[in-house]
Amino acid sequence: MSEILIKNASVCDPAQGINCETMDICIRDGKIVDSVSGNAKVIDAEGKLTMAGGFDGHTHSAGKINVGRFMNPNDARKNLVPGLSGQVARTEKTRAQVGYNTPNTYAIGYRYAKLGYTTICEAAIPLLSARHTHEEFKEIPILDKMGLSLFGSNWQVMEYIRDKEPEKLAAYIAWGLKASRGYGVKIVNPGGGEAWGWGKNVSGLYDPVPNFDVTPAEILMGLVEANERLQLPHSVHVHCNNLGKPGNYATTIETMKLFEKVKPSRDRQSLHVTHVQFNAYAGTSWRDFETGAPMVSDYINGADHLTFDLGQVIFGPAVTMTADGPVEYANSRMLHEKWSNQDVELEDASGVVPLFYSPKSFVNAVQWAIGLELALLVKDPWKVMFTTDSPNGGSFVNYPEAFTYLMSAKRRAEVISGFSKMALDRMVLPGIDRELDFYELAVMTRSIQSKIYSRPEKGNLKVGSDADIAIYDILPGQIDPTTEYEKVKKAFSGTAYTLKDGVVVVKDGEIEATPKGRIYWVNAKVPANIDSAMQKDIDLKFKKYYTVSKSNYMVEDMYLENPVEIGTEGVF
Amino acid sequence: MQVVKLSLKKANKIPIEADNVNPDNFAGKTTEEIKAIPVLYGNGQCPLGDLFNVEAEGSDSVENTKIVFEGDVSRVKRIGQNMSAGEIEINGNVDMHCGSGMKGGKVVINGDADSWLGCEMAGGEIILNGNASYYVGAGYRGESCGMRGGKITVNGNTKDYLGEHMCGGEILVKGDVGLLPAISNNGGKIVIEGKATMPASEMKNGTVIINGEVSDLLPSYKEEGTEEVEGVTYRKFVGDVNVGGKGVLLIK
Repeated sequence: MSEILIKNASVCDPAQGINCETMDICIRDGKIVDSVSGNAKVIDAEGKLTMAGGFDGHTHSAGKINVGRFMNPNDARKNLVPGLSGQVARTEKTRAQVGYNTPNTYAIGYRYAKLGYTTICEAAIPLLSARHTHEEFKEIPILDKMGLSLFGSNWQVMEYIRDKEPEKLAAYIAWGLKASRGYGVKIVNPGGGEAWGWGKNVSGLYDPVPNFDVTPAEILMGLVEANERLQLPHSVHVHCNNLGKPGNYATTIETMKLFEKVKPSRDRQSLHVTHVQFNAYAGTSWRDFETGAPMVSDYINGADHLTFDLGQVIFGPAVTMTADGPVEYANSRMLHEKWSNQDVELEDASGVVPLFYSPKSFVNAVQWAIGLELALLVKDPWKVMFTTDSPNGGSFVNYPEAFTYLMSAKRRAEVISGFSKMALDRMVLPGIDRELDFYELAVMTRSIQSKIYSRPEKGNLKVGSDADIAIYDILPGQIDPTTEYEKVKKAFSGTAYTLKDGVVVVKDGEIEATPKGRIYWVNAKVPANIDSAMQKDIDLKFKKYYTVSKSNYMVEDMYLENPVEIGTEGVF
Repeated sequence: MQVVKLSLKKANKIPIEADNVNPDNFAGKTTEEIKAIPVLYGNGQCPLGDLFNVEAEGSDSVENTKIVFEGDVSRVKRIGQNMSAGEIEINGNVDMHCGSGMKGGKVVINGDADSWLGCEMAGGEIILNGNASYYVGAGYRGESCGMRGGKITVNGNTKDYLGEHMCGGEILVKGDVGLLPAISNNGGKIVIEGKATMPASEMKNGTVIINGEVSDLLPSYKEEGTEEVEGVTYRKFVGDVNVGGKGVLLIK
């Protein structure tokens, strides 16, 4: 039995409505408990901001990131955020680390832990290459992991939707989650991945997918029906059509409206829209490109069925990686950058393109502003998840820098002062004076994730929750984040302590221990007769089209370290 | 003037990474201090004095410091890496990455150089009195900018990918070059006195002058009349049109 007492912590835990109150936290065997014995190890957290461990709900940290690695060997030597990037020799406790946007797996674990993050959700697992994702998961230390499986351009999905077979569709989703050991349903540019196989894209929600006679709107509605039928812990996770195109904010709002009548099967949102920054563009071309954030956030302010994350841009080098194949082709041609393109057989497409966000580029400057506008114009922080869509908008190691933008209008003005007049005319950020406090920041970085992913034991410090705790060397009330943003950045860049399941993994910004994290996956129960009918259909797919057999397709248990199976009961 | 003479105590098979061996690190130091400078040897580290005989004469600023290697150092890498001033003379063959990232000063090599000579160099001068291997003045793997400034003179031949991803500076090769010189260039000037094969593919910007025979000239270049440089009339090609390039390729 191991016991820890964190004394006099300045606790900020929005899940319990605790806003920076001094209290003690008791831990026994990796869980938060009411009280501990006198033998407990004491951590003195007096004067230190204490929150639940951070939870990055949308990051590309395993799987596709590997394509980014081999396309960008030069990333290994980039050291733009000293201490959290670049080449670091191995120590007794840690393995060697390299990289910035596409660090090696070990560095991902260490660096998230240093930022006080303890859980991550890989945003895109193609079913066919899920095994690779899990191989990388296995080598990411410390963190608890989960991943979202791609279903948005899948042949079987589109056929069931076309043929109006919702029960078989639900059975297929359940099987797909099991095959990939995934946690939820990710939909990337619905239908676009299949259209890209023909060198095309879909232009909006009602543009039929070639050869399948279904529209992206039908795919979305079909999948959300299956998602709720299976009572999955996460809602559908949607990357909207037309990403990265001027004028796409209209498609984004249209997509959000589609879900208004969806009844969630659990106490959570019915839709999560991801990296909305890339989907909140107004204008008709890159010439008259401008922010669409006011329109999108207006809609979100009046809606209560959805949550979203930012996809905030960080100036400097980034690596875009997405299952949205056509977008990556467009990026590479427009920016004259290297391009990787992949076809995931019957399931999806994907692409990787490195790029550079420059404050001198008016488009990049406006992109940067849009992310912050969304965060600040949406009034309720319980709808906003903070992300940079790492490394699409920028590496996660820049989160502390991004926090200063959210918390300080002065800091934003400093950055904005470098923008061109043209950029300033296309954004509304300079007129926004809202500054987030630590409580709101905690909501966006850990509390809301607990709700979005139905993981009640994460993102809060309630009794019974996992003892994943971040203790930052900063005291709200003693410092003013609106002016002393350098101190904020420093504190969030390396915790005083990070605890993972009650084990001190980071102390004074250095890695102390590297325990293995868990893998969460969802096993949704489906009636046997529906399952076997569905199996017949996919058997045919494997026989006719797949390059692998079904028995070689499933991710086996040996690929999972500390798996946590979340069972759900499908309603049929 | 400070002169530091270095010679290997015995020939090494396991490579030495001498990225600390440059005038910036040697200036104003005594023989003993220089001997203590660490270098990477295989997978470990040891003081320079364990591997080299060191003789330092005088003590002066970086600009007035000269390092002389006597004998073959063909398994010593990264000599003169990131140097900003002073001079290095190598009387023998040298291993990879000599003068990489150098910002100023001068390196003279009286022998052959292995790959990556002067890669990502930003200033200064390299004179090679011998042949060079691959990737002279190129960029690190994956990087979009190779040599950015300075000058490399090769008084012999080079192998493939001369000046890959070059963005600035000048390279002069007196002999022949291998495949794909000036690939993906975005600036700078390359002059090749001898033969070249498939020059300047994917060049976006910059100038390439070839006085010798050119094999397999790429079809993605537009011929635009002639141009005279220092009294010699060349056929002028512009491209590479595949990447919308505005590079100039001059061929006799």
